[in-house]
Order: sequence, then structure tokens, then C-alpha cells
Amino acid sequence: MEQRLKIFQQFLRFLLGLLLLQCINLQVFHFSYYRKLSDQNCIRTIDLGIPRGKIFDRNGRILAEDKTCFNLVYVPYDLKNPEEVASVLSSIFGMDRSELLTQLNKKSSNPFERRILKRSLSQSEIAAVSEYAFKLSGVFVQAGLDRQYTLGDGAAHLLGYTGEVSQEDLDMLKDEGVKAGHYIGKYGLEKQYDEVLRGKSGGYQIEVDARGHQRRILKEIAMVPGNNLVLTVDQIVQEACINALGDRSGSIIVMDPRNGEVLALVSKPSFDPLNVRKYLVSPYSNKNPFLDRVIAGQYAPGSIFKIITEIAALESGEIGEHDRIECTGSMEVGDRIFHCWKEEGHGWVDINLALPFSCNIFFGTVGAKLGVNKILEYAKLFDFGKPTGIDLPGEKPGNLPSPEESGGPVNIAIGQGAILTTPIQLCMMISAIANGGNLWKPFITRKIVAPDGKTIKEFQPTLKKTIFISEETLTILRRGLKNVVKFGTAAGASVAGIEIAGKTGTAQVAQRELGLPTRGAFACYAPADSPSIAMVVVLDEGSSSQAARIAGAIIKKIYTAEEVRSETTISETQETQTLPSGSQGFE
Amino acid sequence: MENHANPGKTLMILTSVLVALGMLLLYSASRSISTIQTGLPVYIKQVIWAILGAIIALWLKDFDYRHWNKLAHALYFITLILLVVVLAIGTGRAGRWIKIGWFNFQPSEFAKFVLIVVLARYFSIRDVQRFSTLFGGVLITGIPFLLILIQPNLGTAFLFIMIFFAMAYLAGAKGKHLLILLIAGILMSPLLWMGLKDYQKQRLVIFLNPWKDPLGKGYNILQSKITIGSGGIIGKGFLKGTQTKLAFLPEFHTDFIFCLLAEEFGLIGVLVLLFLYYVFLTQALRITLTTQDPFGRLVGTGIMVMFIVQIFVNIGMASGILPVAGIPLPFLSYGGSAMLVCFICVATLYNLYKNTTLF
Repeated sequence: MEQRLKIFQQFLRFLLGLLLLQCINLQVFHFSYYRKLSDQNCIRTIDLGIPRGKIFDRNGRILAEDKTCFNLVYVPYDLKNPEEVASVLSSIFGMDRSELLTQLNKKSSNPFERRILKRSLSQSEIAAVSEYAFKLSGVFVQAGLDRQYTLGDGAAHLLGYTGEVSQEDLDMLKDEGVKAGHYIGKYGLEKQYDEVLRGKSGGYQIEVDARGHQRRILKEIAMVPGNNLVLTVDQIVQEACINALGDRSGSIIVMDPRNGEVLALVSKPSFDPLNVRKYLVSPYSNKNPFLDRVIAGQYAPGSIFKIITEIAALESGEIGEHDRIECTGSMEVGDRIFHCWKEEGHGWVDINLALPFSCNIFFGTVGAKLGVNKILEYAKLFDFGKPTGIDLPGEKPGNLPSPEESGGPVNIAIGQGAILTTPIQLCMMISAIANGGNLWKPFITRKIVAPDGKTIKEFQPTLKKTIFISEETLTILRRGLKNVVKFGTAAGASVAGIEIAGKTGTAQVAQRELGLPTRGAFACYAPADSPSIAMVVVLDEGSSSQAARIAGAIIKKIYTAEEVRSETTISETQETQTLPSGSQGFE
Repeated sequence: MENHANPGKTLMILTSVLVALGMLLLYSASRSISTIQTGLPVYIKQVIWAILGAIIALWLKDFDYRHWNKLAHALYFITLILLVVVLAIGTGRAGRWIKIGWFNFQPSEFAKFVLIVVLARYFSIRDVQRFSTLFGGVLITGIPFLLILIQPNLGTAFLFIMIFFAMAYLAGAKGKHLLILLIAGILMSPLLWMGLKDYQKQRLVIFLNPWKDPLGKGYNILQSKITIGSGGIIGKGFLKGTQTKLAFLPEFHTDFIFCLLAEEFGLIGVLVLLFLYYVFLTQALRITLTTQDPFGRLVGTGIMVMFIVQIFVNIGMASGILPVAGIPLPFLSYGGSAMLVCFICVATLYNLYKNTTLF
């Protein structure tokens, strides 16, 4: 052991000697080189940010992509005269001078790091900055990435937005290469598929002169582009919905009832995904633009729910096709008077007339016969009270009440009481009527495509379950739904040449009596005999017939567009094939 | 013996000098223009730690080192629990700390000392010439090693391997056996690699090749070399360092404190520091050589190895001859846990000498 300890001593001398040699090497032989670098403080790093993949609609149209932009950046260390810089910038950009100065003087952990002062400068702003460059030492224009959304606020709830990573997210994401100041997906698909869309940041290590201007590049890391998303959404349908809804507050969801592919999703009021801060209002306000009404708006379904009541009644044999009930305009339930929406009443009606006229007395009576348990049982079959599982963050489950809290069979039967549904749930339900009982999970993303065009993952339609509904029941129900549009409550929705089947619904009946606006809704599918579209329109303030007219207008537009499109199928296939070549992200 | 100064006392004096030097450097560091400070300046905190460390050392210097032998099992067990706990609830950089009130407790620092004690006990009562004994030592080291590796704290994990090999070698293990273990370890490393998570792999890759990350670690290395080199022979002068003041390096008060010394005191400062360390370590070696008790001798060896590896890896990293690893420079780097462990080690060496000369 003594022997070995002696060897050890030699080893110790050797190691310390090695360290000394290296220090002599650095401090004596390379002294002037390192002293010069140190005096000039001339090494900077530039982070160019994280590139994100593109988002395409089902036909290869770009819905979201990164564009090169020019940002105004500053290096705290290179700011020789913050006061002057603040004055010049405030006159160029019309920004508040004292606010600018606070920002510029903010202490930082690394004063050599470039920080973004203003994103996406215009041509004239860039020109102005270069004109005053002599007064702006430490301030630069630097290329960066800016997210562009083709449809602007029209698809904001669908695509979402990106924003600077928060401190909490940073702790989790720093191992994935995300650094402070980087942008990540914060909402919508941008959030849901953030990991997929997010590429890897790139940048430079550069040497600068005394004024902080780049002299040469020492090291470079190339950006790695993120993956692209191809959606089931059709830009033409989405635009039709945006235009049809206009400035009204409400929501529209369009789905393919044969597989659950979402063709369009619109929610209003909306926000500009590039300027989110402007829209920050109280989240409890009913005007909240960040509430995606399609998946998180929970409303009483109103008369649309009569579809469920009808299925329950016919399937359980509680009522036959031609059993008639007299509607006098009101009925007594316990000690309360229950009204039909038509004051003078519908007279004697059977189920074939009750659905098109949406007779509350008929369905109320049927509901009383069925009992609350039976109705809720059928509602549960259609997965009400559960999120549909659509690939968007923030979906709400609605509310499927217990029998005790439901508000009674008469209320539940006409979609009032404690039951709450989301438009997406109603759309899934009406799709199941259209396709004969299949509950398809709604989905938005069809595939994930690598930047080189290779498909990484393809999402297949998911059949949640098949609800057994007898052929007789379906025939009666579907005929009734057609008649809703032919001569019933949604007569305004009819479109020449395309037969539509649907059901209107109005929530907040009590509010109507008080003269307050009602929430009108319409759920439908078309063409009635071979449905390829299912849709739900909800107007926050409006009647159900207005909602139906909007649906009709959209369907008309879709089918006229479809005719136009079928002629150009060939050129579109080519477009889809060549799509990945333009998707390298930032160059 | 009589014509030499008491090496135990020399150690104590050297420790005081080194700690004082550390304070000086931390004081300089705290005057940086850009550190965002919360609470007390680091040098004040370090003074508190040093006082606490000194109290513990003064008490432990009379604590018979052979008690460590009896406590070995319990200490080892507690350490493993703490290492598991830190993985579950750890906070701070790379999740290495357990926050207890105002104190950030870093179990991996204490684990170093515990490993030394446990290995010393194990090798002193078994026949090290046998391969099975050696293999047992691998298991003893391996469990805390893995727990620290996945934190991930690559520097300390590496230190564990070095402590194991050095102690086994000095305990008298056959060179052939050690070579077999080394080769087996290298062959096994791909298995370990596969068990790592992506970000852990990423860190390892950057650890081995920092230029893969020129905006992060690579930038640190360049800046750290500029800092040392620009100090020249006589340095820029106390409090006059520019590099460290401007926060080119994110952790210059902890892992990169050597740069601060090299910049402000130049090659002369470096020579003084290396000389202090050299004298310190030769005194530790003298104590170890005079100790006849195998357990004590192995404890002394382990402590020595620990200091040498830490010094070499830390300064080697700062000067750019070794990859960047988060290992503190003994007595100088800011950090409560590391400081306390240094004092415990010095006190143990002192006691080793005291008990040896009683024979």
C-alpha cells in the first residue's frame, strides 16, 4: 500500500502540473489573444428562435406557416445611451418613451443576449431604423420568424396561437431545447400538437465590433424545422362558415357524419392570433373571445334534444307512430303550468307532426310517460355528459344530470332542465342519426408529415360505439327531420336541389318571456338521403330559424363549391403531392 | 516526526486560508453588474456556511474517526433514501437539491463522504485480493452512482467511479481485476445509454462535445478560456475583473470560480492556489501514510482522491482541457453542502492524525 501511495503522490504532481501548464498556456502564451477578446467583449450569441411546421387543410391549402420577419432587437451591454435610444425609437414607432426606457434598462442575467423589443417590423420601420442607426448603438434589426394565419381570426379557435414560453413551461421544456424568449403553442391545435410542430432553434455565435455590429460568424447551428400537420378541415367550408356567421356571436361546427372528420369549426367572438394581448378581457365575460364555443360552450340543447326523446319513446314502444296527443298550448305538471311555444296550441298531433312543429306539449307528455330515467339512459347512449375526445385542448363535458337533479321528465324531454351539451356533442349525435347509429369521434388532424414529406403518423377515424336504433324508428325520425326543413320550424333553411334534415332548438325560453335574447340553434345533416355533412349552428343571440337559415346558406355554398371542385380534382392531387417541398421552415 | 510541523494543524491553517480566499473571490463576484440578486449577497451566505462548517469541524476533530466505521451502514442507508427523495421532489438546477426551509440541501455532496466511509469499512474487513470482494464494492458504489447519474449529475457520478477505483487500488486490489472491471464498465455503458432519457443523452453528448451547443456550453467554454487567458501573469487586479463582472459565465460563483481568481490575480494567483492545494494534499498524504489502521488509511485515501479529482476536474473544465461538469472547487465554490462536506473531511483527517500519534 505504501508503494501505491507513493505512486499516488507522483500522480498528484502530474495532475497539478498539467493544470499549471494549461494556465501558463492560456495566460502567458495566448495572453494577448485572450486579452484582446476580453477588452472588446466581442463575442455574442444570436438565437433565431424555434421554427414551427406548417398546418394545411385537407386539400393542401396553407392555414398556418412561419414567415421570415424582421424584429427590432437590442443587446443590453451594447446600449451606450439608453435615453437617446428610447427617444429615437419612441418617435419612430410611436411607443411610450418611459416604457421603452424601463424595458431597455431592465437588468438581465446575460447582458450580451439579444432581446426582442418589437416583432415584425414594416418596410418603412426598417428604413427608419437604419436611417437613425448612428443614434441607435446596441439596437439592431434581426431576421426572425413570424407565424402567419391565412384565415386570421376566422380559424383562431381551431388553430390557436403561439406565445412566449412562460417560466413554468420553461422548467418542463428546457430539456427539449426551449429557452426563455422562445415561442410555443398556447392554444388550439398549436398547443395540442406543440411537440409535433415545434422544430429546434438555431443561431450563431458571432464576433462583433466596438459598436456591436457583426464582424464574423464563429459558429453556427442550423434550425431544424418542425413537422407539418394536415387537417381534415376544408378551408372552403371554413370560409363559408365564417362568412355565414358574420359578426354574430355564436359557433358553427361542420363534420363528415361518415367518419367524424371535422370540416369546419368557427366560434365568435374571435381574436387575432397575432395580437392576443389586445383581446384579454375577463374570462368570465360572456363575450370572452377565447372561449371556443364549439367545444367549451355548454348550453341547454333545447328542442334539438327532442330527437333523443323521440328515439327513447319509439324504441321503448311507449308511443306508436300514429298515437296522437292534443296540444292546447299548455299543460299542467304538478302545480306548474307548462307552455308550448305556440300559445294557441298545435291541436291533435302525432309524432310525425310533433317533431316538425317542435310541439312541447307532445314531447312533454311523452317525456312524462317515459320517465326521467329512460330519457337520460338514451342521452347517455349518445355520450352526452362526456367530452367527445376531439383533438383540441379545453373541451368541456357538458352536464348529464342525475334523475333527481334533472328538473323532471317534462323539462328534460324538451331539452330544458339541468342538461347541458356542447355544440360538438350535438354534432356527433346528429351525425349518428345520419349514419344510422355510429358514434364517430370528431377529429381535426388527419396526418403528421415530416418536413421531407414523409408521413409520420396518419390518424384513422375512431368509432366510439354503435347505438342500436331500429330501422322503423330511424325512418320515422329521419322523415320528421326532413319535414322540419320542408314545412316545420326550419323552413327557412331549405336549399333548392339539396334536401336537408335537421332540428331547431331554442334555449333560455324563460328569457324570451322576459324579452331577453334567446340562444337559437340548429342541428342538421345533408343531403338527407346520403348524408356527407353534419352541422350544428348556435347563435348566442338569435332565433333558431335564423340559425337554420345560416346552416342552409352554408350548405348551399358547400355544394356549389363541391361542383366547382370536382372539375379540378386532378390539379389538386398534384398540389397535395408537391406540398412538402415548400415546407422547410426558416431558411 | 518531531522536526515536522503537525500536519493536522497545517491542514487546519490551509483550510482557513483557502476559505478566506474563497470569500475574497465571492465578494468580487457579488459586485458583478448584472447578477440578479435575491436576499443576502453570496459572500455573506458563504461566511455563514464557513462559520457553521468551522463549528462542525471543531467538534468533529475530537470525534474518533473509528465511530464512522460503526455508523457506516446507517449513513449509507440514509444517503440512499435521501438520493431517492431528491429525485422525487428535488428543486433547483437539475433537481439536485432538497429545500429545507432556507437551506438547499444537496444529498449528493454528503454521499461522497459516506461512500468513502462505507468503502473504507468494506475494503478493510474483506480480502481485496479476491474478485468477489471487488464486485461487492462495485455494487456498493453502483447504487448511489446510478441515483446520482439520473439526476442527472454527471460530474459527481464520475467522481464516484474515481473514488471507487482509487480506493480499491490503494487497498491492494489486483491490477488485473481492476482492468477487467474497467473494461466491463466500458462494455456495459451502451446498456446504460439505452436506459437514459432523450434529454439525458443530449446532456451527455454536449458534456462530451460542448461544441455541439455553441450558444450554450460551447460559449461557456470559450468565455471561460478568455477569462483565464486575459488575466495574464499578474492579473487585472482585485475587483477589476471585467469578464466575470459582466456575467459572461452563468455560474462563475460556483463552478467557474477559478476563472475569477485567474482573471483578477493572474498566473501568480493560480500558482498560489495550486501550491496551497499541493501542500494540503501532501499533508493529507502524510497523515494517511502514518496511519496504520487499514480503515483509517482508506478513509484518508478516499478523502484525498475526492479532493484531487474535484480540483482537477473543476480547474481542467474551466481551463478547457476537460468537458464541462458541475463539480465544485473545494473550499472556494459557493455552496453550503459542499462547504460542510469539506470541513467534515478536514476534521476527519485531523482526527486520523491525532489518533495515529497516540499509538
